[in-house]
Amino acid sequence: MSSAATEAQSHRQTYFRVFVALCVLTALSVAADAIKLSNPWVLRSIILSIATAKAMCVMLFFMHLKFEKAWKYLLLAPTIVLAISLPLALASDVGFDYYIDETPQAASFEQQNRNWDNHNGASRIGDNRGSDPATKTDSAATTNP
Amino acid sequence: MTHTAPTPALRMGIPIPHGKLGMWLFLGTEIMFFTAIVGTYIVMRLGSRGWPTDVNVTYINVYLGGLNTFVLIVSSYFVVLAHDSMHDKNYFQARKFLWWTALLGVVFLGIKGIEYKGKFDHGILPGKIAETNRQAMTMMVDQLTNTYDRQLAALAPKGTPVADQATLLTAEMNRLSDKGDRSPADEARLAQLKAVAKLELAANNLRDHVRAEVTLELPQDQLNALRAQSMTDSAVTRPAAIKLEEVQHFIEDLHHDTELAPLVGHLHPITPMLYGNLFASNYFFMTGFHALHVVIGLILFGVVLVPGRLSASWSLYVENVGLYWHFVDLVWIFLFPLIYIVQW
Repeated sequence: MSSAATEAQSHRQTYFRVFVALCVLTALSVAADAIKLSNPWVLRSIILSIATAKAMCVMLFFMHLKFEKAWKYLLLAPTIVLAISLPLALASDVGFDYYIDETPQAASFEQQNRNWDNHNGASRIGDNRGSDPATKTDSAATTNP
Repeated sequence: MTHTAPTPALRMGIPIPHGKLGMWLFLGTEIMFFTAIVGTYIVMRLGSRGWPTDVNVTYINVYLGGLNTFVLIVSSYFVVLAHDSMHDKNYFQARKFLWWTALLGVVFLGIKGIEYKGKFDHGILPGKIAETNRQAMTMMVDQLTNTYDRQLAALAPKGTPVADQATLLTAEMNRLSDKGDRSPADEARLAQLKAVAKLELAANNLRDHVRAEVTLELPQDQLNALRAQSMTDSAVTRPAAIKLEEVQHFIEDLHHDTELAPLVGHLHPITPMLYGNLFASNYFFMTGFHALHVVIGLILFGVVLVPGRLSASWSLYVENVGLYWHFVDLVWIFLFPLIYIVQW
């Protein structure tokens, strides 16, 4: 067997091992979800580490980055710096979360947390909150029998 | 020997083919593109209290997502084998592996389509989701009213103005029920008209109660009396407020009514989903752009597969398509845990 053929054979073996590793890692992340961990941050760390490991497998072996020359750093370094800085720039937004309490959904969330059954609006009976024309016709019909 | 192998022209820059350099630069921009989308999703999700994570509400199916992950990994493996076969000059085998890759891409889109269909069937679309109890109740009223309008239009003679449909059909119903000797056709028509009339009562009943925010336990006529009274007397005692569960049961009960069940076939109780619209926007934006990349990948595979036999001249093309396809797989590797698994 020529050395080229042996090399090709070993390539194939590497690819197959990487493929099996990717499948196992996928199964692991589904399993991590299935066991319902009590601490969500543990689950987050586990599955994002698994995702990173899978990404590294794909990039290093399937995309041949492991075997490429130094040009890969020249091309990928600026991209990765920009890609990382974008979520970091947004992270201050997450950190201060200054806008949360102003959303109508947040108010509604609070209201649902309180007992909805105790909801006792001060609005008048027949008070129309809807803005559709049908509502207006409806109230007009009530006033002019 | 007069013939020597031509010396490659000396050139500046990175020692890889221009096509490959172009593909890598493109993938660099793609990394930033998807990082921006995923980063936005994370910001929105962490900044929203009460993000929908209940799979019975969001219809996120971790097993379908996992299956799709597997499908993409296998296709990624096949495309690397195709590239390897090109390198070995085994073009027949390379073509076979490329076909398998493309087929798996189609399978991925099929599973994605099943997921999208499930979302559409449950009304999970950006801007179409009720987020509060009030919105859910109003939405059920609207759907019931629309159903009534459609049934009315279906029974009325073609071309009847919408405003006259109800009057015309009421007259027909009264005429038929006064008629002494009804033929079987008359009986059937009368039953249809009666069912729609009953549907109108139900729709009006629900609408009035929801608009007035008064419990359905108060009968319609008493509600009408109360509303008339409240127009002049602001000190009227307010009855109990309507609850979401009441409206949901009202819609469910329509299906148990033998007369109405055939008319309200597709109506279903609505459960509000807080931040559901933001969730749906993010879900469809991320998975939609990924699916678009899969479609483009399939077109690129079509370019190499459709013309027929492969040859050495396709080597660089297959390598570049392979790089692109691995990137599509890479994006899914991150989307899968972030969308399907993480319960923040």
